[in-house]
Parts: sequence; structure tokens; C-alpha cells
Amino acid sequence: METLAGQAAFYYLATVSIASAGLAVTRANPIHSMLWVLALFLHVAGIFVLVGAQFLAAVQVIVYAGAILVFYLFFVMLLDLPSETAGRRFGAHWPLATAAGAAFALLLVRWHQPGLAIPTPAATTDAAPPPHVAAVGTMLFTEFALPFEVVSLVLLVAIVGAVVVARRKTAS
Amino acid sequence: MVPAGALLGLSAILFAIGLVGFLGRRNIIIMLVSLEIMLNAVNVNFVAFGYHLHEDHGQILALFVIAVAAAEAAIGLGLVIALARNRPDVRIEHLTELKW
Repeated sequence: METLAGQAAFYYLATVSIASAGLAVTRANPIHSMLWVLALFLHVAGIFVLVGAQFLAAVQVIVYAGAILVFYLFFVMLLDLPSETAGRRFGAHWPLATAAGAAFALLLVRWHQPGLAIPTPAATTDAAPPPHVAAVGTMLFTEFALPFEVVSLVLLVAIVGAVVVARRKTAS
Repeated sequence: MVPAGALLGLSAILFAIGLVGFLGRRNIIIMLVSLEIMLNAVNVNFVAFGYHLHEDHGQILALFVIAVAAAEAAIGLGLVIALARNRPDVRIEHLTELKW
């Protein structure tokens, strides 16, 4: 019963994700595109919850849907929307782009092979496993401590770089 | 509960949609958003393999991908600001200075 509900939830989330992504790249109005991308991010977060990645789902909602998407929306507001929506949406090379996309979608033919079946539940151990988020946090601060610090450096460089690139050049 | 193959299939479709958007659209902001869709597809792939193999490493990698996506958004949109200051729109067909 629980399995059936989980599968129904997964197929709902997957269908809505694909539909939102498709609408996001085809709408003429960039604001509508951003709102469809928001729907996509929230449904992908639901999929993360379904497969047991609760911390990642929270990060997806807070960072992607909360911060990055609002950032994009803010930049869309800087554009001249009427002229953006009036022109043609796709370049003349769109058949080539579609062919490239179809090549990736062809990977789907392998989705049902037996090696990728429903995973077997992990062997039950005597000791109760630590809570999931605690496990991820422990790994992040022990095994992956160096990459974690490097990512903070990447973000710092990106912030400084964005300010330098977007700064108005003043005659000194 | 969910077959890992279905997750990988979802990831492939999302990546394909993002690729079509990135290559086909002419608005540079929509192109950057398509890039985010592709990064999300990659995250689904990492999580699917982590789920299939009972490993948490996939989630750690996905976290790093999200951090790099934030950096990419900041730099990309900074470039868009610099472009929008010099020309009325940010449509990709008007950026031909580097074209040969």
C-alpha cells in the first residue's frame, strides 16, 4: 500500500516536473518561464523527499527556489519585457537544438533494464542508524571537509567577480 | 519503492529539455535558466544513484552542484547586467562581435 502511494506520488511529481520544464523553455514571457521553473524546482524537491534525501530537498527549496530563482526574477525585471516577448523565441537553428535534446532523451530506452530495478532494502543492523540529516552533516564535516571549504572559496570568488563585472566604470 | 531507472529516465528528459532551451532560445536569461534546469537534472541523477546504491555521497555531490550553480548564477547575471548597460536588449543574436 505504501509502495503504491509512493509510486503514484513519484509519477505525479515526475510528470509535473517534465511538463513545467517544457513550458519553462517555450513560454514567450520570461516571467511565466520563471514561475514554471519555480514549479519544477518544488516538484524536484518532492522527488528528493521521496527517495530519502530530506536535507537536499530543504536546500533545493531554500537555495534554488528561494534564492537563485528570486535572483533571476529580479534580473528579468530589468529587461524591456514588451520587446522581449514580441521577437521570435527560438533561433533559426532550433531543429539542431531539438536533435541534440532528442539524442539525450534517447537514453530513456535503457531505463527499464533489470540492474536498475527497485533497490533492495538495506540489511537491518542491530544499532539504529543515525538520523538522516545527522549522517549527511557528519559526512560533510569529516570526509568532505576540504571540498566544503573549497566551495566556500568558490562562492567568495563568485561574489567578488560578479561585483567587479557588473560595476559601472568610473573615470578615476 | 521507486525504480532507480525511472529516476534516471526523468533526469535524461529534464536534461534534454534544458539542452533544447539552452541551444534554441535567444533570450540570454532564459538560456541561463535552462542551464539551471540541466544542473537540476544532474542532481536528480546523483540522488538516484545514491538511492540505488544506499550511499549518501550522491547527496553531498548534489549539494556541491547547488553551490556551484549559485556561483554561476551570480557571475552569469553580472555579465547580463554589464551587457544590458551597453545595449537595449540582451538577445543573443545581437552579440556578434566575437563571430567570425
